[in-house]
Amino acid sequence: MIGKLLTSDFLKIKRKGLWFLTALGPIGVVAMQMVNYGLRKDYLLEQSEDDWGYYLLNVHSFTPLAIVLGIAILTSFMASIENETNAWKQLIALPVSKLTVYLSKFTVLAILLFMSSTILMLMTMAYGVFLDLGDSIPYAELAKFAYYPYFASLPILALQLWIASVCQNQGIPITVGIFGVIFAYSSYVLPDWMIWKWPSLMNHWDEPVINVMLGVGIGILLYIIGMIDFARRDVK
Amino acid sequence: MGSILSAEWYKLRKSKVVPIIFAGPMIGLFIGLSMNSNNILSDAEINEWYISLISMNLLYALLFLPLISGVFASLICRYEHQSGGWKQLLALPVTRGKVFVAKYALIMLLVLVMQILYLCSIYAVGLLKGYSDPFPMEIVWKSIFGGWLATLPLVALQLWLSIMFKSFAAPFAVNVVFTLPSILAVNSARFGPYYPWGQPFLMMNIGGNTGDVFFVPWEQLLTVVGGGFVLFFLGGYLYFQRKAV
Repeated sequence: MIGKLLTSDFLKIKRKGLWFLTALGPIGVVAMQMVNYGLRKDYLLEQSEDDWGYYLLNVHSFTPLAIVLGIAILTSFMASIENETNAWKQLIALPVSKLTVYLSKFTVLAILLFMSSTILMLMTMAYGVFLDLGDSIPYAELAKFAYYPYFASLPILALQLWIASVCQNQGIPITVGIFGVIFAYSSYVLPDWMIWKWPSLMNHWDEPVINVMLGVGIGILLYIIGMIDFARRDVK
Repeated sequence: MGSILSAEWYKLRKSKVVPIIFAGPMIGLFIGLSMNSNNILSDAEINEWYISLISMNLLYALLFLPLISGVFASLICRYEHQSGGWKQLLALPVTRGKVFVAKYALIMLLVLVMQILYLCSIYAVGLLKGYSDPFPMEIVWKSIFGGWLATLPLVALQLWLSIMFKSFAAPFAVNVVFTLPSILAVNSARFGPYYPWGQPFLMMNIGGNTGDVFFVPWEQLLTVVGGGFVLFFLGGYLYFQRKAV
C-alpha cells in the first residue's frame, strides 16, 4: 500500500516546482560562496591554513537557514496540493489508512531533502575543486557537512509537516518557518534543547554527532505525535 | 474605496492575522532578551539603547521583516483563492484597480502596525534590562519608519505573486530566494545599496549615514526603493487587470 501511495505522491508533486526547489536550495547555498569567493578569494584564503575546512564552514553558515526555510516551503507545498482542491477527503476516502497517507507524505519530503543534501555535497565538492583549495579533498568532512544537518533537521521536518497538514490556513506553518529561520540564524545564543539549533551542528559538548542522534530520535517522536494527531482529526 | 477597504478588513479579521502581527514584537523580545550584550561594547561610552538596537534591528530587518511582509500579502489573497472568491469579489461593482490598491494599502497598514509593535518591544527590552540612558526616540522613529518604507517594493512584488499563485508556498519560495542573499549583499558596500531586499536592513541600521533624514542617502531611497516600488506595483497592477479569474 505504501508503495502505491508513494507513487501517487510523487506523481502529485510533478510539475509543481518541488523538484526545482529541491535542487535550487543546495545550488543557492553554494552560489552564495561562489559570490563570496569570487569577490574576495585572496582575503578568504588568508583567513585560515586549512582552506578546505574554512570553505566548508563558510558553506555551512548558510546550510541551516536554507534547510529550515526549505522544509517550511516543501511541507506547505505538500499540504497545499491537497488543500487547494479539497483532495484530502478524496484521498482519505480511498481504502488507505490515514497513518500511511501521512507516512507517505513524510517519506516523499524526507527523500526530497536527502536529494538536496546529496546535491549540496556534490556542488560543494565541485566548487571546492574549482577553487583549487588543496589536493587532499576531505571526503569525510564533505559528507558530514551535507548529511549531519539533514538528520539533525528531521524534527523540524516532522513539526512543520504536522502543522502544515492540520492547518487550513497555510500562513501559520509559514510563520512558524520564519520563526525557525530566525532561531537558526541566532543558533549561538539558543539553548541546546531548541530543535532549530541542531542543523547548525553546534552544541555544548562540541560533538556534532549528538545533534544527529537527537535529530533522529526526536524526529521520530515528533513524527509519531504528528501522525497520531493527523489521524484523530476530522477531514475538513 | 472606503467600502472595499472595510470589506478587505472584515475578511482579514478572521484570517488569524492578529497573531501573525504579534510575531514581530515577539521576535523583537526574543532577540533583545536572548542576546548577550554585556560582552560587546560594555566599556564603550555610548547610549545603552544603541547596543540593543543594533543587534535587534540586524535580525529583525535582515530576515524577519522581508519574509513576514510576504505572509501578509498571501493572507490577504487567501479568501479569494478559495472556491472562486475572485469571481465573487470582481462581480461586485468594483474595479480591479481599486481592489489591488485596497489590498496593497491594507498590507502596508499591517506592516506599519507591526513596526510600531516592534518599537514597543524595543522599549520593553530596555525596561526589562533596566536601561537608564534616555530613549533615543528620534533615531528609533527614523529606523521604524525607514524600515516600513523599505518594504514598499517588496510588498508590491509579493502581492503580485500572491495573486498569481494559489498556494502560500510559491510566493514565499520566491521571497526566500531573494531575501537570503541579502545577508551577503548588505556586507558589500558596492552591491548592498542596489539590492532591494537588503534595503529594510540598511534603512533600519542605526549605524548608517546620519546626515540625511533616513539612514541611507536620498538618491538610494528614491532609485532603489522608489524605483522598485514603481516597477513591482505597476507589474502587479497590470497583471491583475489581465488575470483571468
